[in-house]
Order: sequence, then C-alpha cells, then structure tokens
Amino acid sequence: MKVLSKSKLSAALDNLSQQNEVFVPMQKGTQSGYFTWKSFAEGQDELRLEALNVYQSPKGVVLPQTEKMYGIQSQGVEINIDKTYEDDHPTIIFGARACDVKGILAMDEVFLTRGYEDSFYKARRSANTIIANACYAPGPNCFCNAMDVNSVDPAGADVILRDIGDSFIWEVKTPKGDAATALISGLLEEKDAKAPTPQPFQRQVEYEGVAEKLKGMFEHPIWDKLSQPCINCGMCTYVCPSCYCFDIQVKMWGDHGYRFRTWDSCMFEEYTREAGGGNPRGASKERFRQRFLHKLEFFTERYGTPLCTGCGRCMIVCPTDVNIVRIIDAVKEAD
Amino acid sequence: MKEITNKIQAIAARLFDEGKIDVFLAWEKGELDFQTKAYAAWNKDDVQNIIFNEYTIYNTANTLLKFRDTHERIGIAVKGCDSRGVVRLLEDLQIKRDRLYIVGIPCPGLKDPLAAARNYGGFNQVKEEEGLAKKCLECIQPNPVIYDELVGPEQVPRQPLGERFAKVKELEQMSADERYDFWEKTLSTCIRCYACRQVCVACDCRTCIFDEMKPQWVGREISTTDNMMYHLVKHAHMAGRCIECGECERVCPVNIPLMLLNQKLIKDVGKLYDGPEAGMQYVEGNKPPLSVYRADDPDSFL
Repeated sequence: MKVLSKSKLSAALDNLSQQNEVFVPMQKGTQSGYFTWKSFAEGQDELRLEALNVYQSPKGVVLPQTEKMYGIQSQGVEINIDKTYEDDHPTIIFGARACDVKGILAMDEVFLTRGYEDSFYKARRSANTIIANACYAPGPNCFCNAMDVNSVDPAGADVILRDIGDSFIWEVKTPKGDAATALISGLLEEKDAKAPTPQPFQRQVEYEGVAEKLKGMFEHPIWDKLSQPCINCGMCTYVCPSCYCFDIQVKMWGDHGYRFRTWDSCMFEEYTREAGGGNPRGASKERFRQRFLHKLEFFTERYGTPLCTGCGRCMIVCPTDVNIVRIIDAVKEAD
Repeated sequence: MKEITNKIQAIAARLFDEGKIDVFLAWEKGELDFQTKAYAAWNKDDVQNIIFNEYTIYNTANTLLKFRDTHERIGIAVKGCDSRGVVRLLEDLQIKRDRLYIVGIPCPGLKDPLAAARNYGGFNQVKEEEGLAKKCLECIQPNPVIYDELVGPEQVPRQPLGERFAKVKELEQMSADERYDFWEKTLSTCIRCYACRQVCVACDCRTCIFDEMKPQWVGREISTTDNMMYHLVKHAHMAGRCIECGECERVCPVNIPLMLLNQKLIKDVGKLYDGPEAGMQYVEGNKPPLSVYRADDPDSFL
C-alpha cells in the first residue's frame, strides 16, 4: 500500500499547495483551527495532525463565515448585478477527522439535494478535496459512533490517512483522491503497513429512537429546565462542524455595493425576527429547543441522519455547560 | 467550600420555609467535577442541588437578568464580582432591591471550568494551567459589596498592587499605528458569536445595538472593519459600567484579550471622573458617570 512518511509531510503539503489552497489543522498563536499551509510560519505555528481535533472546524472552507455573492450597481430605479463571486478555486482539506467530514456531507445534503442547488456552495464544494485523518483514539467527549459516523472509515473522504507513527498510510478513495495523489506521487512509498487498532469509545451514547420520541416533545417541560442556563450566545453553532445557517445581507456605498452571506445562529434573537417585528422564537427557551430539535429530530426526518456529528466541541466550549449528550439522555429518560 | 455550600443551602431552605423567596439563584454541579452551571432552585427540594465549589465562577448577576420582567422574589448567592453585577442591575433599574435577598460569599478565588474542560476534552496538546483563573488572580474585590447575609470569612484582594493596569500601560506606550496594528490583528480572529456580550452583566440593553436591523448600525461581515466596530462600540458602552468580572475574556472561544479594552476604559474613566468604580457600592439613585445627563454639562455638544 501507499505510505507517506512524516518526514516528507512538508514536501507533500508544498506540492499539494502548488495547485490548491490547502487547509491544515493548526495552532496559530492563540487560534486553533484550519489555516492554509501557505500561511504556516515555521517555528511559530504548529501542525495539529496528531491532536484529537482543533477548536474551529473546517466547514468554513466550503461555507466561509462571510462570502460575497454578487455586486450591485444602481442607476436611477434600475438595479444591475455587475458581478457574481462564485468561487471555484481548488481547495484541499488535509487531515479532517471523520466527524468534521460528516459535517460537510450534511451540508452537501442541504445545499445540493432536494431539488435546489446552491451555486455558491456547489462551486466551492466541487473544487474541494477531502483528505481525512482516520481516528483511532476517541477522546472523552467523542460520540461520533452514535451519530452515523465511522471514525476510521469516514464516508465522503477522497483520501484517508492512517497514522502509523512515523508515517501515514495513504488510502485513495475517489477520482478526486487520485488527482491529489498524482501531485505527490514522487513522495509516496509502496510498502506493507498495518493500520492501528481502534480504541473503544469512552462515552456511550444511544441515539436510537431519539428523533422519533422528539416528535411528541415540542411542548415538553424538559425544555424549560434544560434551557435555563443557556445564555443564547452563538458559540456552539459557530464551532459546530455541521451548523450551516446563514443570513443574506447587503452593503451599499451610495449607488454601488454587494450582497453577501454570513453565518447566522438560531441562538440569536434577530434570527427569526420578522419584518413586522413579530418573533416566533422570541424567548431563550424557544431558540434553545430549535437548536436541539434541528440537530436531533428535524434533520433526521428530512435526510435520514442526525445533524450532530458527535465531535464534542460544543460540550467543551459552552460557557454554561450545556451538554448535548446529557440532552439526548434527558430526552430518552423523559416521560 | 463544602461548608459554604452547606450554609448557602441552609439559608435557601430557610428562605423557602419562611416564604420569603420564590426562587434561589446559584450554581449546580454538572456531569464532571469541574462542570458547573447557573442554577435556579424553585423549591426546598431543589436546594440540595445548590453548590459552591472551586469552579462556580459563573456570574450569577447574569442569571438575574433573566428575571427582570417577572415578579418572583429572588434569593441569590453572589461572590464579590457577582455582587458588583447586582449593583449595576440595581443602578440601571433592571431589578428592584426589595425583590432580592442577597447571600454574599467572600470569594477565595476560583478556577476556570472552561480551561479544565479544554484540558479534559483532549484537543489541547499542551495542557493549560489549572490554577486560579486569570480573572481571579486580578481580582480587586473578592468580598461582596452588597448582601443581606454573609457566608464565610472575608478575603483579601489578589491583584498585586501596582500591576492592575500594567498591560494597558504597555499598550499606551505604543505609537498609534502600532496600537492599531495590534488591535486589527487581535480582533480579526473574532467569530462574532457574541458570547462576550451575552455573558456580560453590564450588557443589559433590551435591544442591543448589534441586533438592530433598521438601521443596521454595525455590519455582520467577518471583516476587520465590522469586527473592530463591534468591539469598539461594545466596549465604549462599557465605559464606567464594566465591573471587571472578566467573564467576557474567560468565555471567548478564540482567546481575544477583551479585558485589555475594558481595563483601558476603567483606567480612563477613573482618571476623568475621579469617581468610584462601577458597582462598588449601591446608593439608591446613583448612576455611573456616563449614565448621567445634566443640562449644565461642561461639554457643549451635549
């Protein structure tokens, strides 16, 4: 099988970067997320391919937090769209964990299926290759196995890396993976290697039946209690690898400007504020409930898989200890 | 700490027995030892869930804000910083003093449950320090400034004398361009999750300027311009109002040193108005310097 020695990792990333913008998990100063290999500063930044994960997911590569959509020029009462910004430059996400790959697959469902294709998402995603990093040692908050994710054989990966200590097994899965492999063929070696043995998950989560049960729990008193500590910041939604909600807004300077979209969060009051001032989710509890129903019920109903990928990020960063695993448990235990 | 927990529980139980309160606000334990969360006890049975431990760092005054439009009589446990938050809410007429029974806890300094959560979570390759939280090491007011009952012995401030504004002074020494570069770089990482606003007890506006759409005062793009507008406007609103509880900086998921902005404003407001600091004492009718309007204001533009 093909193997990439870690001593040749920098060279491989250099090669891949010649034709692609390559995003790699990194600690960059105080920031922990996916940054471009070209921005990697030797001696200052640190690659995090061996870490369990980084705090910011790679979803921004295919759905940037802010992206321009089109330019506007107004002439009297006429409005002309003078430019569109569909971005199809080739990108590679290098070293994504299975949970984060699943997040992107969930966004594929939303933006590319059920009769509507989002051209901005499609342009980025079509030009995007995913080189996943198989996960053999789940962390204390990991529960992707309960959320339709195979941590060692991530669906949706174009290439799968398997860390065997001094090198990675390089397992090509798709034609996109072949294309990426061609760029570094000189650096890969053919040799026998044995993939590591997966360690057991530390956390047991049972999602079976939760989506069905939630159908009858919209008015359940459980939401009052569970939402009490939540302060409705958007942190969980922004670190989440699968939260994809966005808003479309406009910026104008006199007669010209542009429309852009930007991540939005169901936790924010103005997210559901209507033009007339009404708000179906005016209260904190209603926004809290929406987030978890979307993750655990609505998405499963529509797409047959939950929108939570079990990465555990929200449980780490939440300032008020809202814990989605405890919520799943509470739903199962509820009368 | 266990002793303080017992005392708070006993006081809360007594208040329920005497019919003096409808709800008691404090903290409860989460799944693991370091996990704690804001808690509302609604009856005597709930009281056993109340805890005070080395991780009960969350500002209970922020929980109080959820009750500003209701009528319950509220018991509330406060540390020094939390009590300053309560004073701020009283000054801003967000809650009435006679609705509150305040149980003060002189605070020995606590640990940051988020740092513990990050260490536990396994993403960190290098473990973070798990001693006293930064905000507690810089605390100038560990003892509650307002209370009906005090639990435990008084504590001494932990802020080393003379070091309070050391970082701010360093920034002041920079040239304007250097300082601009510093903030541009620092604030460019903001993901605009608004956790710093939501966790802030001084942010008690009913409709926040950043949520207004007609007109939209500050753009929602993740750009240097919009990010800087967000932070500068938010923090300018904190001038004379920040109680230095440090929650904004503690919860920031991208580690922006937000207290530098707040401390600069605390320093400047202290110098310009020569007044007491935000929320240090409650005098009915008192307002922080920048919340006062006077027809004879020396500034002509007002």
